[in-house]
Amino acid sequence: MTKSRPPLSRRQFLATSAAAGIGVIAAPHIAHADAATLRITGWGGKWGQTMSNELIPAFEKEFKCKVETDSAFPYLPKLQASSRSAPVYDVLHTNSNEQWAALEMGIVEAKIDARQVPNIADVYPYAVSDKMVGVCIFTSAIGLGMRTDKGYGKVSSWKDLWDRAYDGVRGGYVIPVNSLGQAFLMMSGALFGKGMTDLDAAYAAMEKLKPIKLVDFTGTMEKMILSGEVGVAVIHDSGILRYDGQNQPTTFVAPSEGVLSLEQVLTLTPGTKVRELANAYVNYMLSPSVQKTLAESVWYSPANSKVKLDDKYNEKLLTTPEKVATLIQPDWKWYNARKDEIDSRVNRIFRA
Amino acid sequence: MTAAPFTPRLGRFCYLALNVAVVVFLLAPIAIVFVFALNPTPYIQFPPVGVSLRWFEKFFASRDFMNALRLSLEVAVMTTIAATLFGASAALALARGGLPGTRVITAIMLSPLMLPAILTGLALFQSYVLLDVGRPLWGLVLGHTLVSIPYVVRTTLAVLQNFDTRLEEAAGNLGAGPLRTYFEVTLPLTKPGVMAGAVFAFIVSFDQFPVSLFLVSPGRETLPITLFNYLKFDLDGTIGAASAVSILLAVLVVLGLDRTVGLRSYAKL
Repeated sequence: MTKSRPPLSRRQFLATSAAAGIGVIAAPHIAHADAATLRITGWGGKWGQTMSNELIPAFEKEFKCKVETDSAFPYLPKLQASSRSAPVYDVLHTNSNEQWAALEMGIVEAKIDARQVPNIADVYPYAVSDKMVGVCIFTSAIGLGMRTDKGYGKVSSWKDLWDRAYDGVRGGYVIPVNSLGQAFLMMSGALFGKGMTDLDAAYAAMEKLKPIKLVDFTGTMEKMILSGEVGVAVIHDSGILRYDGQNQPTTFVAPSEGVLSLEQVLTLTPGTKVRELANAYVNYMLSPSVQKTLAESVWYSPANSKVKLDDKYNEKLLTTPEKVATLIQPDWKWYNARKDEIDSRVNRIFRA
Repeated sequence: MTAAPFTPRLGRFCYLALNVAVVVFLLAPIAIVFVFALNPTPYIQFPPVGVSLRWFEKFFASRDFMNALRLSLEVAVMTTIAATLFGASAALALARGGLPGTRVITAIMLSPLMLPAILTGLALFQSYVLLDVGRPLWGLVLGHTLVSIPYVVRTTLAVLQNFDTRLEEAAGNLGAGPLRTYFEVTLPLTKPGVMAGAVFAFIVSFDQFPVSLFLVSPGRETLPITLFNYLKFDLDGTIGAASAVSILLAVLVVLGLDRTVGLRSYAKL
């Protein structure tokens, strides 16, 4: 004799459906619960390709973990909106100016513990200087990019950018949104005033720089130089060197006064639950093999002084103490404290 | 002295010229996108120096772009279904439900349009963080649905306001129940508004940038976000090719709707 099952009541049906729904939502979390997940930020473009195709899989294999890379800007508002004890990122990769802003908000740690990251012992001093939050893993040199086929005169100084011969073909950045533009503004204070904090001299220099074509992104400036729309412009060396071998009529000029440093910086978030893994990742990014791979992929100068690049790269990137000594590191803490005032002023200057 | 005999012709000419100017104004950016996409140089150049499909090849060969395109389409379809169901039902309730405070509720339903979408995205992101659910796909669809519902509500309400309720009464008098009346009388007559809202919902979701900015999860990004990240580092014709494909997809959706439900009815809205 068999017992017939009672029909499913409406209440039972709803409870079962709700449980199934929760199960579907929670499934991805449960599935990955056994493997530690490191959440980082990262760039797109060639950097992102090299990381996702080669370097991240190798790290995941070595440390038996999963790495989630957020390459969708903006990072700081997302990190700021998340809980300090459960941040959305474990490692923040961004430029120095943003790292200083993040430190002010208390969402990243000021320094990396060198005892947990042995490769820090091999970095150039600038990578852990007092101008730096966390550790710099790569740097680009900000200088002047120019066309070689337009018959322009020899350019060797930042001041050449103010030459009236470049009216109409001069390029720069929308200062409030671009760190190259911000660093260049500080440099103008040093060129025409008492130093990089001489804002009055910098503002006067910006007035004299007009007419100038301003863009938001360095990628846009690269293309404007390539198309000939801009003849001479502020740009980082990687933006010119990445076209090496493509027969483009462009060159990078490192001005005699020095090049500005555009740093790629890593910091840890205070609330990270995978601190050991986060430190291992920073150490990995500073390891000579990873530094060489990325440097030769995107033309960034490695921060690790022990890295040996192929001749082609060695010749053009900042790979010796002498070349590294030409780097000028902006004081981003000072700049960020005045950013609103500076934004307002430069907007007025370039709007007029 | 007589009135100028050319006045009507002149008026027609001006009218025609104005229409042509408006059409050119609307289509010129699209034309530039196609010129950029087909130009072989890795930068915008005018006039173009040739015709090449290299950027389309790069776009379709890119795993990142293809994943982004697939995700955008999936999210847009889910959003369209959700926004249409919720929006059309809400509009019906607002128009017919005899609810107290209808004006206030309508204003609330339309409020996502008043709020900058980036704030909607940030607020949802914070909510998900508080709920500790991460950035799931359903969270992204929910965000898109939120900003799409007002379009469906608005277009459906527009139709319902001119709706002759005597038709429903007649159906009832002839023995049809409320459900049958809804499916056989109300829905067919409100279809233009609902479908117009659905088209808006699809387009709003497919092009959605500010809400997605905060809600996409790492490694799973929609096409507008992928394009934005790409152009920060690599401004080349791939952006033009991606834009061209998006435009063609939007045209295909509209043509598909025309074949299935007809577009003339939308023109009345």
